[in-house]
Amino acid sequence: MNPTLYMPIPAIIERIEDETPDIKTFTIRPVEPIPFAAGQFVELAVPGIGEAPFTPSSSPKISDFMEITIMRTGRVTDWLHGMKEGDELGVRGPMGRAYPIENFHGREILIVGGGCGVGPLRSLLLALIDDLAAYARIIVRYGARSADSIVFKDAQMRGWNQHGALDVMLTVDKPSPGWDGHVGMITDILTEDYLDCHASDGIAVMCGPPVMMKFGTDKLLERGYLPENIYLSMERNMSCGVGQCGHCRLGRYYICRDGPVFSYDEIQSNPRLWDD
Amino acid sequence: MKWTISVSSSLDEVLAFLANEREVYALEQLENDQYRLSKSKHWQPGFHTLGDFRPIEPLKTLFFPAREFIGKWKDPSGRKALPERIVFGVKNCDLSSLGIFDHVFLHGVCPDPYYKEAREKTILVSSDCTSHLDVCFCPAVGEQPFARSGFDINITQTSEGCVLEHGSERGGQLLRSARQYLERAPAELLEHLAAQRVRLHEELVEHTRAHGLKPGSDFRKAIETSFESGLWQDFAEDCVECGACNFICCTCHCFQLADGYAADGVAARTKLWDACLYNGFAATAGGGNPRPLRAERLRNRFDKKFSFFPQVLDRYACDGCGRCTEACIADIDIRDVLRRAVDESDALHAHSSDHRAN
Repeated sequence: MNPTLYMPIPAIIERIEDETPDIKTFTIRPVEPIPFAAGQFVELAVPGIGEAPFTPSSSPKISDFMEITIMRTGRVTDWLHGMKEGDELGVRGPMGRAYPIENFHGREILIVGGGCGVGPLRSLLLALIDDLAAYARIIVRYGARSADSIVFKDAQMRGWNQHGALDVMLTVDKPSPGWDGHVGMITDILTEDYLDCHASDGIAVMCGPPVMMKFGTDKLLERGYLPENIYLSMERNMSCGVGQCGHCRLGRYYICRDGPVFSYDEIQSNPRLWDD
Repeated sequence: MKWTISVSSSLDEVLAFLANEREVYALEQLENDQYRLSKSKHWQPGFHTLGDFRPIEPLKTLFFPAREFIGKWKDPSGRKALPERIVFGVKNCDLSSLGIFDHVFLHGVCPDPYYKEAREKTILVSSDCTSHLDVCFCPAVGEQPFARSGFDINITQTSEGCVLEHGSERGGQLLRSARQYLERAPAELLEHLAAQRVRLHEELVEHTRAHGLKPGSDFRKAIETSFESGLWQDFAEDCVECGACNFICCTCHCFQLADGYAADGVAARTKLWDACLYNGFAATAGGGNPRPLRAERLRNRFDKKFSFFPQVLDRYACDGCGRCTEACIADIDIRDVLRRAVDESDALHAHSSDHRAN
């Protein structure tokens, strides 16, 4: 954590890659390395303009640069999408609680992503792939609105599937010319027809829009996953990142400090869990 | 060891001595008989007072300013160091509120260096309430109109003389350095003080009961069980979400980090008070908002104070100072909200008991 607490350190944008019409992956190199664990987040600041929370999508094994996959969806992300390679921004972090990878050893791991939510999941997946033999099996199920809006398309459709190491399946909500994959909601490809899994002792990790996580969680419970084995990346208006500013409270937790990764049993009693 | 002021000295002499070279914050009585927290270079006899009850502004302003400059982009010089300070006349509600701020800004995952500096450089001289405002209700939330801990020095005036005691090591050192003005407090004076405390506390308990609140009420249960109640919509009908209750509250600690440019054109960051009554408080990019309705935001304020803090710190984030009631332009009285929540919760439990009995 930056000792100045509320002030970011400078970082240079080394590379910007278009993922979809409204999603880009930024490679940033901070002036000091920022070691992080998969699932933790950072605050990116456009100096003088504002700051917003993002979870790196790159491997946590690398700390001198990080990739961050950002959807253009508000004031700060509008500015970020307008920036160029070589521009300077600010970064604070890492913040929050990571995926408890140490608990995943020997288990079957199901990764469920929706839309831009696959960013944090990619970071987790890269950490898992690094030590593939430590896990019984890794399954990826990903849903996007359309073929155009699939993030990390090459990796999802080819790279992660290489040599059959991973069981990867994608779906899109709406069909389009040239798409020969599955069409339907993410919950469709979590059914018995498309997902053969050991739910009773498997780990499920999910990140995506609230509505997708709500119905996705219901489906996973229906399939027999235990609430304590379902890990969700929750999101609110995380600002200070250290549990002080009060914006991201969810029941008795601050998402920035106690999350953003929660097991479902920790938060399921909250009546406002899925409000976005 | 408890002290009183020697016959050859005066309270003003003692307070001026304690202030020494420190920046002084003390109470100043206004024409409407309220007090304001006034900043000065010295203790000013006749102008400053220890006060009968708390001032208009909460003590948090000295530790968590409404607007705090954090720094300029890539400029490590930060901000100026704070001077040594002393606050006279702190009342128990405000003193107790610092427990919330210490939890948030000192004991979290990353302490706030500015808050830490402000705490370290500020001597807190508390004094008992010798009267109360109409809006006061501290006994309902388990507090009392005098300090039991958290002060460096406590000075209380009675009709029989002053009693001074220390509550911290540095307070003890400071009092010992003022020995020339002090003498051991006689037992009769301490008995008089104890009786005064009991009397004032009882008066305030009675006053609180007259507004429908009982000491020892389980506000956590009341707020948690009234989650789906219509009471939030009813009170939200009048609320104009101005945020005054948040800003004037002695325990509200929420803030935003605001980015902009300093006068020299360099990007800079400022920490500003924020208010959970504001529509955009919890809003996220892309148009999401977990609390789009005013009633939800009003409920959230009570949920934070009477459910969140009991869970994480085993206390309410309300000290019964009544400032929110004074500040509310819609005349929403926090006691009315709490009373209705308690009444509904009690009725619900009575009903479920009846149901079980049948």
